[in-house]
Amino acid sequence: MLVIKPKVDFVVTVEAEITPDLAEDLEKAKNFEVYYGKDKVKLKELFEITKEGDDKKLVLDGDFSKVKWIGCRMEDGEIVVKGNVGANCGAYMKGGKITIEGNADDWLGAEMSSGEIVVKGNVKNCVGCAYYGDMQGMKGGKITIEGNAINYIGEKMAGGEIEIKGNAGDFIGTEMTNGLIVIHGDCGFVGGDMKGGEIRIGGKFELMPTFKKSEEGFVGDVNVGGKGVVKTL
Amino acid sequence: MHHMLHIKNGIVIDTKNGIKAEKMDIFVKEGKIVEESEIDKSQCKVIDASNKLVVAGGVDMHAHIAGSKINTGRTMRPEEMRMVRQIANKFRASVGRVLLTSPAIGYEYAKMGYTTSFEAAQPPIGALHTHEELDAIPMVDKAALPVFGNWHFVFKYVAENDIEKLKTFIAWAIERTKGFGVKVVNPGGVEAWMYGGNCRSLDDEVPNFGVTPREIITSLIKATEELNLCHSVHLHCNNLGNPGNFETTIETMKLANGFSNDKRQVLHVTHVQFNAYAGSSWRDVGSGAAEIAKVVNGMDNVTIDMGAAIFGHATAMTGDAPFQFTLHKLLGARWSNKDSEVEGGAGIVPIMYLPKNPVHALQWAIGLELGLLVESDKVVLTTDFPNGGPFTEYPYVMAMLMSKKMREKELERVSPYVQKAANLPSIDAEKTLDEVMHMTRALSARVLGLENKGHLGVGADADISIYDFNPNEIDTSNDYEIINKAFRNALYTIKGGVIIVKEGQLVDEVWGTTYWVDATNKVDTEAIEEDLDKYFELYYSVEKEHYGVEEAWIKNPTRLVMG
Ligand SMILES: [Zn+2]
Repeated sequence: MLVIKPKVDFVVTVEAEITPDLAEDLEKAKNFEVYYGKDKVKLKELFEITKEGDDKKLVLDGDFSKVKWIGCRMEDGEIVVKGNVGANCGAYMKGGKITIEGNADDWLGAEMSSGEIVVKGNVKNCVGCAYYGDMQGMKGGKITIEGNAINYIGEKMAGGEIEIKGNAGDFIGTEMTNGLIVIHGDCGFVGGDMKGGEIRIGGKFELMPTFKKSEEGFVGDVNVGGKGVVKTL
Repeated sequence: MHHMLHIKNGIVIDTKNGIKAEKMDIFVKEGKIVEESEIDKSQCKVIDASNKLVVAGGVDMHAHIAGSKINTGRTMRPEEMRMVRQIANKFRASVGRVLLTSPAIGYEYAKMGYTTSFEAAQPPIGALHTHEELDAIPMVDKAALPVFGNWHFVFKYVAENDIEKLKTFIAWAIERTKGFGVKVVNPGGVEAWMYGGNCRSLDDEVPNFGVTPREIITSLIKATEELNLCHSVHLHCNNLGNPGNFETTIETMKLANGFSNDKRQVLHVTHVQFNAYAGSSWRDVGSGAAEIAKVVNGMDNVTIDMGAAIFGHATAMTGDAPFQFTLHKLLGARWSNKDSEVEGGAGIVPIMYLPKNPVHALQWAIGLELGLLVESDKVVLTTDFPNGGPFTEYPYVMAMLMSKKMREKELERVSPYVQKAANLPSIDAEKTLDEVMHMTRALSARVLGLENKGHLGVGADADISIYDFNPNEIDTSNDYEIINKAFRNALYTIKGGVIIVKEGQLVDEVWGTTYWVDATNKVDTEAIEEDLDKYFELYYSVEKEHYGVEEAWIKNPTRLVMG
């Protein structure tokens, strides 16, 4: 296990595609290259890194809200973020687990295909979405958010599950083809151009007028010949 | 910076001057190739090119590198911009997978040893934008071809059979747009598209104008030849992208009969791969490349370029707006449609060529068939960037043309449909290195009418590339991997006498020139003034006085006055 602590308050964002693979070799971790603004630097120049035990785990201790791409493409092992985390956390993730004790930024778990992300606080926009121009968002795995999220949840989602225990904003499951979104609280517009999959909502929400009521719930979006299901929890 | 250069002991291939892999020295002074006697050896930088191939810089005569189409493509495809090639440092940031940013275009050409590239379809009203973008492309010389085939003025003068006014209009338009020649895209068809139609055959009438593609093409060839422009009519045929279209292509080529020019072709038919389909539907589509090759080989006044399709990402972008709509419907992919007032239109659709897709594999095969079956003095190597794929894959195409063994290996991974629908599996021909150098240098320069490009004779521009193999020792049939690798990373690229690439890495940045053609000396624009005034008042969104590009606005222009 590696414990990683920021040495300073970052002036610009850090792009650090760090994964639990780093826990295997302290020296390699220290010399891992990241971008600080436009400068390529070594991880040890920005962070204090210590090794404790042999498990495949990173503990990020401190404010990581300006550190992007944590856990990007990770395949196994575990990351625990003690505070807040920056954008694109868990993007393209293939396995393992990320736990964020604070808040997460935009693009959490974007295009992830497997593994698990748990956020104890709130999350911003584009949870489990497809990056602009890409054909598929989240394809598998699970994202659990204890707090609230803002707009764009599971856009172009093709599999897996997103569960939000609080409220969410607009554009839930837009162009979704498969998978499950559960929102316990209230949210805004749901299901635009939805082709498949299921959305379950506990509180109030606004459905597009292009859904038909059926025994299962609301089915649509009929504009795209969709068979997606929206229903109350 | 400018040095005198002595390129020593290189193995030179210069097809224009009949030099076939001979050991010789090349001397450079003030950006030109000179005689040895002009060089002061004590002041001159020596490049040891022993056992290395030395050729002229590559000339790409058809690519889409600037203007509203590629820019709309970039806007539509943010996913293209996730590939960072280079972070800003000594050189500018360079980004893009296939749809490269402007600096990336210049840098990637330079790394391959290409030093000239022409934008092949400029919407005339977007000329200023096109030149702004060309000005942002470093390393290469460039130019743009404005499109004429759907311009209302052209229809009017063709309908009136007034070649004098057509010539006057062409000269006026090329001067105003600071263009290079007469590009024609789906003549009449794009106008018909304004009403939801198309002109798929040469005799389909253009709505409201009473003219046909046959008449438009013939009149434009006649006018271009009478103006004696350095480049011929450059034609994207009608009926592009449809099964069975090879017959339209052949019929179109025959329109060149009766015209001749001592220096060059009178008709260049472009990205023929997209116009070489046999069959009657996508279910029985086949290759019409052999039939087309037979016709081209039998004519002495027509040239073509391949428009080869490369497996992987690409973006279809043409002035052929109805075709782009068909493609959008076929693929279900994103689509953008452009309307350039009374001049034509365009469309953009992302595409990815997949080896296992029967149609894509056939397109891939047809592009190569054209390169193999057409005589090397009549076919230029292109991918119609970014329609058939990235120009950065030219080395792959070069290697494929030279090696049957490589083709056999590639055929194993593509859809078996190619075995019955294409000629490629049965073609044994292998182009020689001389021929491939000709198809990428001397021929493309001649097609464009650039006398100082594509060769290494005294007086030529000192655009030189050196590659890391000995042409006298390489076995192009078997060493295809070496070929494919060597042409991606030039050992040296020299542009106008400046070393810009060394061992595949950028070492210096230069700004090439933008050529434009001035034929206004041959006409009296007074003759069309009244028509121009009327059309600008009635139909254009801009005033005539505000239309066009002044030479002073271009970073580094070269005006070519037509003789
Ligand atoms: Zn083109």
